[in-house]
Amino acid sequence: MNRTLRTTLVATAALLVGAACTDPSVAPKSTINSETVFSEPSAYRALIAKVYAGLAVTGQTGPFGNSDIVTNDEGFSQYMRLYWQMQTLPTDDAVIAWGDQALSELNTQIWSSANGFLGAMYYRIYFQVAMANVFLRETTNAKLDARGVSGALRTEIATYRAEARFLRAFSYYHGMDLFGSIPLVDENASVSQPPAQATRQQIYDFVVAELTAIRSSLPTTAAAQYGRVSQGTVAMLLAKIYLNAGVYTGTTRYAEALTEVNTVIGGSYTIDANYRRLFSVDNNASPEMIWAIPQDGVRMKNYGGTTFLVHANVGGPMAGSDFGINGGWWGLRMRQQTRNLFPSIGASAADGRARFWVNMNDSVITNMSDFQQGTGVPKFTNKTSAGANGQDLEFADTDMPVFRLADAYLMYAELAMRGVAGATPAQALIYVNALRARAYGNATGNIVLATLTLPFVLDERGRELYMEGHRRQDLIRFGLFTGGTKLWTFKGGPVGGQSTAAFRNLYPLPASELIANKRLTQNTGY
Amino acid sequence: MRLIGVVTLFAALCLSQPAQAQSARITGTIRTADGGAPIVGADVEVVGGTFRRISPTRDDGRYTIAVEPGTYSVRAKRIGFAADSVRNIVVAAGATVTVDLALKPTAVQVLGVTVVGYGTQDVRDNTGSVKAVTAKDFNPGRVVSAEQLIQAKVPGVQVIDNNEPGGGISIRIRGGTSVNASNEPLYVVDGVPLNIGGGLSSGRNPLNFLNPNDISEITVLKDASATAIYGSRGANGVLLITTKQGSSREPAFSVSSNYSGSSVINRPDMLSAAQFRAAVTQYAPANVALLGSSNTNWLDRVLRSSGGAEHNMAVSGVRDDMRYRLSMGVLSQDGVLLGTGTKRLTTSASYTDLLLRDRLELRANFKGTRNDDNYTPGGVLGSAVAMDPTQAPITGGTYFQWANPLGANNPLADLAQIKDEGSTFRSVGNVEAKWFFTEWVDGLSATTRFGYDYATSTRTTFSPSTAQADIESARGGRLDRNTPRQVNTVFEMFGNYNRKYEQFQSVFDVTAGYTYEQQKGDYQSFFAERLATDLLGPNGLPSAQTTVNSLSVDEAKLISFFGRANWTFKDKYLFTASVRRDGSSRFGAGNEWGLFPAFAAAWRLIDEPMFANVASLSDLKLRFSWGVNGNQSFGNYLYVPTYTPGGQQASYQFGNQFVTTLRPSAVDPNIKWEQTTSTNFGIDYGFLNDRITGTLDYYTKTTDDLIFSVPVPAGTTTGNFVTTNIGSMKNTGIELGISAVILNGGNSGWNYEAGFAISNNQNEITAISANGSDRITTGSIGLGDRVQILQPGSALNTFFLYQHKKGASGTALPIDMYVDQNNDGVINQDDLVASKNPAPRWIIGHTSSARYKNWDFSATARMYLGNYVYNGVASGNGYYQALTGAALTNLHASVLKNGFVTRQAFSDIYLEDASFFRLDNISASYTFRALRGVRSLRVFGTIQNVFTSTGYSGVDPLAGLSGIDGNLFPLSRTITAGLNIGF
Repeated sequence: MNRTLRTTLVATAALLVGAACTDPSVAPKSTINSETVFSEPSAYRALIAKVYAGLAVTGQTGPFGNSDIVTNDEGFSQYMRLYWQMQTLPTDDAVIAWGDQALSELNTQIWSSANGFLGAMYYRIYFQVAMANVFLRETTNAKLDARGVSGALRTEIATYRAEARFLRAFSYYHGMDLFGSIPLVDENASVSQPPAQATRQQIYDFVVAELTAIRSSLPTTAAAQYGRVSQGTVAMLLAKIYLNAGVYTGTTRYAEALTEVNTVIGGSYTIDANYRRLFSVDNNASPEMIWAIPQDGVRMKNYGGTTFLVHANVGGPMAGSDFGINGGWWGLRMRQQTRNLFPSIGASAADGRARFWVNMNDSVITNMSDFQQGTGVPKFTNKTSAGANGQDLEFADTDMPVFRLADAYLMYAELAMRGVAGATPAQALIYVNALRARAYGNATGNIVLATLTLPFVLDERGRELYMEGHRRQDLIRFGLFTGGTKLWTFKGGPVGGQSTAAFRNLYPLPASELIANKRLTQNTGY
Repeated sequence: MRLIGVVTLFAALCLSQPAQAQSARITGTIRTADGGAPIVGADVEVVGGTFRRISPTRDDGRYTIAVEPGTYSVRAKRIGFAADSVRNIVVAAGATVTVDLALKPTAVQVLGVTVVGYGTQDVRDNTGSVKAVTAKDFNPGRVVSAEQLIQAKVPGVQVIDNNEPGGGISIRIRGGTSVNASNEPLYVVDGVPLNIGGGLSSGRNPLNFLNPNDISEITVLKDASATAIYGSRGANGVLLITTKQGSSREPAFSVSSNYSGSSVINRPDMLSAAQFRAAVTQYAPANVALLGSSNTNWLDRVLRSSGGAEHNMAVSGVRDDMRYRLSMGVLSQDGVLLGTGTKRLTTSASYTDLLLRDRLELRANFKGTRNDDNYTPGGVLGSAVAMDPTQAPITGGTYFQWANPLGANNPLADLAQIKDEGSTFRSVGNVEAKWFFTEWVDGLSATTRFGYDYATSTRTTFSPSTAQADIESARGGRLDRNTPRQVNTVFEMFGNYNRKYEQFQSVFDVTAGYTYEQQKGDYQSFFAERLATDLLGPNGLPSAQTTVNSLSVDEAKLISFFGRANWTFKDKYLFTASVRRDGSSRFGAGNEWGLFPAFAAAWRLIDEPMFANVASLSDLKLRFSWGVNGNQSFGNYLYVPTYTPGGQQASYQFGNQFVTTLRPSAVDPNIKWEQTTSTNFGIDYGFLNDRITGTLDYYTKTTDDLIFSVPVPAGTTTGNFVTTNIGSMKNTGIELGISAVILNGGNSGWNYEAGFAISNNQNEITAISANGSDRITTGSIGLGDRVQILQPGSALNTFFLYQHKKGASGTALPIDMYVDQNNDGVINQDDLVASKNPAPRWIIGHTSSARYKNWDFSATARMYLGNYVYNGVASGNGYYQALTGAALTNLHASVLKNGFVTRQAFSDIYLEDASFFRLDNISASYTFRALRGVRSLRVFGTIQNVFTSTGYSGVDPLAGLSGIDGNLFPLSRTITAGLNIGF
């Protein structure tokens, strides 16, 4: 008995050891492995969708959770919200009332490299770059051959690759515009060491070359799916880059800009008869929209984009229900300098673009933190142009306009005023009056040729495109963003404004990035 | 190859025939003559004719020696006892003769056995830094979590409580070794290592399932020689917890009850209504209209004096060879913050038996616990701190709320409306069988152990559509329910050979084994919003407009081979060598295996002839150890490049379709173990017949391949942070433990014992290499601001702040505030100064216990010196600009002194010396003796957190373990009274 038992015990034990595993590896659960992900053909579409989604949402959960980048607040870090703030808050356009120091730095042009919003923007730009690079690395001919991808999917992937390159160029354009000299990382770059800094000229050359190269690989405007880019989008982006080439490289490219502007205007876009629709839930149906980044209150929840623009513009006496939302965030309102571009404002304003909220305490802002000073500008709403609410009262359905035809009209006018060969003042007047006739509902607002000057075009851009995130770029191109020529409320700090140093035409590289990447040199002045 | 050793061992056992054909045996138990406690490791010598065999006694004092039929004498000896022997024992063929002996102690000796990894050891033979605290020395009073039992008892061990009943407790043994991975020690309960982490116990104490009343001993393994047997999890030390077993022949019943009351003694210092009114009038005149006319102390309205009760019952005993203990306990404790409370039911059963003629020892322990926790709805405390003190909480049945959604919500409304509750069921158990191959190879045994740790919990948060947050966000009622489940299983098998070789004057104790641990978790949750009705509350899910379900599963494995050899030569030269090889699923190919060796030696100087005549010296031992440990306590699958699918709320629109996205993760596929190499020099001493005893240790710990989540250069990977190995760090320290019997008045006079646990630790980061950078900022205080830095030459989490200029009276200058360190005329990141760190330089723990007749008194106190804390509560709320928002927010009282208009988060004015002295505990008890029908009756009273003396201005100088005090939870004092009855 003893021996039997002992033998059994020992044998069992030995068996257990023999059978026991000595392999500690565990296949990851509840995640998709890099080895297997592309065995599903839909993965390519999902991956390119993420390159787009990086502009629209902030993470993989929505509205927050599983953020793409690590920041103090995922909601703050939405790409277009950051971009919009950096192009708008330091200008004569809008000011934000919230107490965050990083925001008041943006309001006043006195930011430091530690400003969290600058850091988040920088990382968002490079998240896009890295995502596009991943897509391009995973869809090389060699890899697709190895996976046996052919036929319709292969053709589709060729388009996706062009879109990935577009989106990468789009973000580099932002990086070039905001930060200047930044690292250039493409899909072939080694990732084993920190990337070196490229000059602003090199970024410019890269972006222009890429856009030129992919243009024919993208669908025509008519053939492109909504939310995705087309040949028309490429032309508009190139037009923007050429128009500002003098700022980026020191050499103007107005002739090239005119070519691209004409391509856009000659395309299938038309001016929307209803200005309000461009900023409403049904703006996806607007024929004027060249590219809008989709937003959806149910399927694309985030705290940036138009959700931010609708909510932050509402507060005080304004009722959220008037704008299709559950309540305002008491943040954005317009400075008097832009408000004064309009002859009169309010519900009865002849210029329909100036239907601002006027029942605030004071149109002059003396206290940056007091929302009820200044002019409420609920340009974006979460209602359709017919007045119906969006699907969700917190997250807006209104898509975020990136490029629209009216902008191209004003770019034409600017080029004509700059005397670029081929752009005629007469044609420019037609374009400007087309926008003004829409604004006034008739010809009473039309101007005559003598009125059309370069400064007028800048003012007209202020009237047409306010709150759309173009102002800083425009002011820099006109040499008015920094310095003392043009002052506005809180420019440089004081309520009345003061001159600022020219180095602030560029944002500083984020302090955290200078620590992470030793090969970077800070922009002059910071 | 790894298997060969183990398999050979067992194959040998299977195949070879026993050396002796007969089965006669001499067996018995060696006990002390005075108390009858079993003596472990006594040498039992059986001599008869040419036969001579020596065997040490086991943990329970038993021995068994196989003999041929004949006549023998049996002799037992043990250092510290007079030897005893019995002659003329006649053993017939096949018979088992029992010979029990009782040894008389010859001197007061540090006697006892401590639990060590995979075995036990006599304290006198320890070569490592090991400190055991037994039940009689545990801290009394309302002890919800087991760790609090040893607070201030062991040099080099910090126990830090978050002041919330059942809330998280942190333990640091000899400072932290890691930046990002856990710094908590490994907990081993009755031999079963607990896996801590995952979503289950987040924010709650991992030892909540243990009833402190069921614990008989907590052993702290501090140096690498002691912890290396736990390999990759030993870097932060190991806490071995042994639960109680039956010990008396008669069944012993014990019942204890106690009641406690807690009251708040310190809270965040916010402006009063009058001060607030004045501040708004001066700094935010536009907002004067928002002020109310009341004087409300919002903190008072959400705090209370709370009570608690605890009842425990246990029955235990020994029958023949079987020991058993059954216990049950209930605990109910409310927190001082309204809405918080915990209720716990614990049950425990333990069983030990010797079967098959003492050759098979079976042990089983099962514990089951249910915790029901009530949580204060998130944000209540924050709202109470931020709320405008001039507003009345309720007017005419309507709660005050700000019209602006950015304003804090009324905490009283949240308390009344929002429900946040959870319950956790956890069971931990193990069954083990130990086979003694006594008659076949003397001193050889084999143990197989199965253990499990099963935990499941639910946490439900319900917010009705009428809650302010729901109104503001139009969420219209929300129900959020998380139901995580974790199962850990452990299989261990190890052999032990313990034999004395008289001819070599040596004792060998060799252990070798294999363990397999698996952890599986599944995490389910759902979230619903815009509920059709509020009426079901947290108890049901009505139809809802949005429902989000999620499920994720994970798994981890740890496979280990380990061995340890102890060699005792001439009873005074002690050597230990151990090695563990761990394979972990947390690392990728090529990095999954780690080897963790250790070596130690000790010299019992007291047993050398030269010390024999030093009368005042009663114990002296020198110890040295060296070893390597690992740390792998961080997330699973960090090495695998994975693709995360997007949720349905985070898709992108292509035409009329919403496309689900895929995102590749940023990983370092080469991530590997953190390794800590430690050396320890120690002295164990005893004077005056051990009236004064203690230890002195000096140690260094060097951690390499520190794991940290670091910012990556933009563009190199998706995401801006990646978890990787970045650097090295060193801890150096001294520990002194003293225990002295100062008065020894016997049963009729005063007895007084005092103990001190003194430790000093210095930490330094020696190398950082994060993508070519050697500096990493850390210590987030919100809004993207980080106020600490990791850099070579500085201590872990050194503060990184501007030096604030001070006025004549020492106050901070409100304009032109900071010192321009590099004199470049600009205050920017180049002017930040790395200075001071959160770790205490000195920690001094003190325990006093006194006895007079039937009275017992005890006190425990702690002192920290040189620890700095950044007062995040003051910096985050201490500037006037915060008053200018659309809703009013109360300010921290520091603003009155500093006068800051804007937020000055980087000012070193918020960095404070948080050195303190705290009387943790005082206790008195009276024991009634010789009551009819009652074995013992003891009544006691305890005050916990009696007082704290500190210059720190925040709520609790201990709140900022990592150096940043964002703690709003008030500090409370607890008074407990109760009685224990045994019969």
